[in-house]
Amino acid sequence: MKTSPVWVLTIATIKMWFRDRAAVFWSLLMPIIIMAIFGVINFGSYGSVEVGVVDLAGNQASGQLVEGLDDAEVLDVFTDGSLDAQRQALLDGDRHVVLIIPAGFGVTPPPFELRTLYNEARTREVEVAHTVIQEMMNAATFQVMEITPLFTLDTEPITDRDFSYIDYLLPGIVAMSIMQMGLFSVAFGFVQAKRLGILRRLFATPVRPANVLFAEVVTRLIVSAIQTLLLIGVAVLFFDAEVVGNMAAILAVAVVGGAVFLTMGFGIAGWAKNENVAAPLANVIAMPMMFLSGIFFTRDFLPDVLRTITDYLPLTYLADGLRNISTDGAALTSQGGNLLGLAVWLLISFALAARLFRWE
Amino acid sequence: MLLCVRQVKSLSAPGPACYNHIRRYPILNSANSHIIEVDDLRKSYGDLKAVDGVSFAVRRGEVFGILGPNGAGKTTTVEILEGMRAPDSGRAAVNGIDVGEDPRGVKAVIGVQLQASHFFANLKLTEILDVLASLYHCAVDPIDLLRRVELEDKKGSYFEKLSGGQRQRFSIAAALVNSPLALFLDEPTTGLDPQSRRHMWELIRGFKQDGTTILLTTHYMEEAEVLCDRVAIMDNGRIIALEHPDALIDGLLAKGFRKERTERQATLEDVFLDLTGRALREE
Repeated sequence: MKTSPVWVLTIATIKMWFRDRAAVFWSLLMPIIIMAIFGVINFGSYGSVEVGVVDLAGNQASGQLVEGLDDAEVLDVFTDGSLDAQRQALLDGDRHVVLIIPAGFGVTPPPFELRTLYNEARTREVEVAHTVIQEMMNAATFQVMEITPLFTLDTEPITDRDFSYIDYLLPGIVAMSIMQMGLFSVAFGFVQAKRLGILRRLFATPVRPANVLFAEVVTRLIVSAIQTLLLIGVAVLFFDAEVVGNMAAILAVAVVGGAVFLTMGFGIAGWAKNENVAAPLANVIAMPMMFLSGIFFTRDFLPDVLRTITDYLPLTYLADGLRNISTDGAALTSQGGNLLGLAVWLLISFALAARLFRWE
Repeated sequence: MLLCVRQVKSLSAPGPACYNHIRRYPILNSANSHIIEVDDLRKSYGDLKAVDGVSFAVRRGEVFGILGPNGAGKTTTVEILEGMRAPDSGRAAVNGIDVGEDPRGVKAVIGVQLQASHFFANLKLTEILDVLASLYHCAVDPIDLLRRVELEDKKGSYFEKLSGGQRQRFSIAAALVNSPLALFLDEPTTGLDPQSRRHMWELIRGFKQDGTTILLTTHYMEEAEVLCDRVAIMDNGRIIALEHPDALIDGLLAKGFRKERTERQATLEDVFLDLTGRALREE
């Protein structure tokens, strides 16, 4: 079978792809660089909660409270500055919560009324701060009243490590790279071959068009698989990522996703006359999905309507499928919904590509 | 459909590396000496009649030229013959194979040089020839092909790195990978300097001596005069004259035509070649 045209073409296409330095850089190295940047900055982690304290009492009791807050690991406590200064810091976004300890705290008869000002936009941090403050006041109450608490809560982590941002990010970057590979590599490479007349010359020979398409598709699926393995390898080795799920299942979903975006790419490349038309079109399709399909951040914060719409994006199906397997260890068979979504997109793309595709 | 059988042993020997399948010679009787037959071909693009009732036939071993100004329909005619474009009506056949019915069958027995062809980026010249040969189910000796167009020293180069003349010569080598029965050359010397053009003429003469049928388009009259056994002159999609070049010139003279200034024994191109030499100017 060595000299069968389809295999000769496929091997030649793979060879050409790996000799194209720009293609190798954009497809294999760029996703790793992007992952490294996001991984190092660690966008996903919540920094500590910043609490400003205005101590109007300035006595032993208030001192103990401030000290207790300071001991709490999740809080960064700032005691410097007047009420006005702390309020300004809150407005500037430098504080999440400002706690005001009233004059006469611990001295006048109880109850003591503590007040907080908080940043409404940072609900998560504010909630943490309020919980900690409430907890301390309860503890102080029990202590002063000499009451033994009826309940205690003993928490024990059962996962051996925390789910970290890189674990979330990795499948997203893999999905994004597969999309880029399908849309951009085809939109640039194939359209260039068309414009330069390379394809025309090819069709002056008795080659079957299906053989040419097969070589192009197989080459890019192989590259996508390499890309997936490379990204996972780098993330696990250098960024302490953990892949719980089955690698074969991940690759299977990657290949299905690759087929969807390659088909879209060929639709664009077949329709566009040159790169100047193909590239913007590929961007218009890829860009919104990059931000709306939960690649870098979870879609939970999207407004309900937008979240419902983005449920149906092909990149969402791909990223979710990969993420479920990679972070939750889900089985391939449990990803029927995502695979069905991808299959529907494959059919839509195929129908469009078949209508739009022109060799010249 | 296996058109050529690989025969690796013959690689060291000169001559075609592919066996001629029986399909390549469906018509062996001498009654039909025409390898290319075109009958009332028509092709329109909107209101433009690019090819408007063209008929001609090319004999085996002949060098047949199609001349004409830009837009006369030369390239469209050739592309229909090459199976690259479907005609609106009419019939074209190469070696008895109808292009309309079996374009791949025609493509298998012809060699094609397209206008401004481009080949795979990131493949070396020898690799490109190997891939192209495999598309015909043939095996070739790429070095031998490159030697025939004097590009042997460029065997490890990429197509993009070649000069204009080298590119044209490489596209000739690429047209030879299937040992074609007929070569189609579309403006093979357009854009070349006088040295390269003359070199290309020598190549074409060599193919002719080997008995290869050649159909070429050009708008250089000197080229047609030097190379072609017969020329068809096209204008507005029609053939307006078809004859041996000398016969066409004699016909014009017979009508009483005289040049205002008689031709001198040398042209400026002769001066140019005398001064700069005939050697190819490519690094």
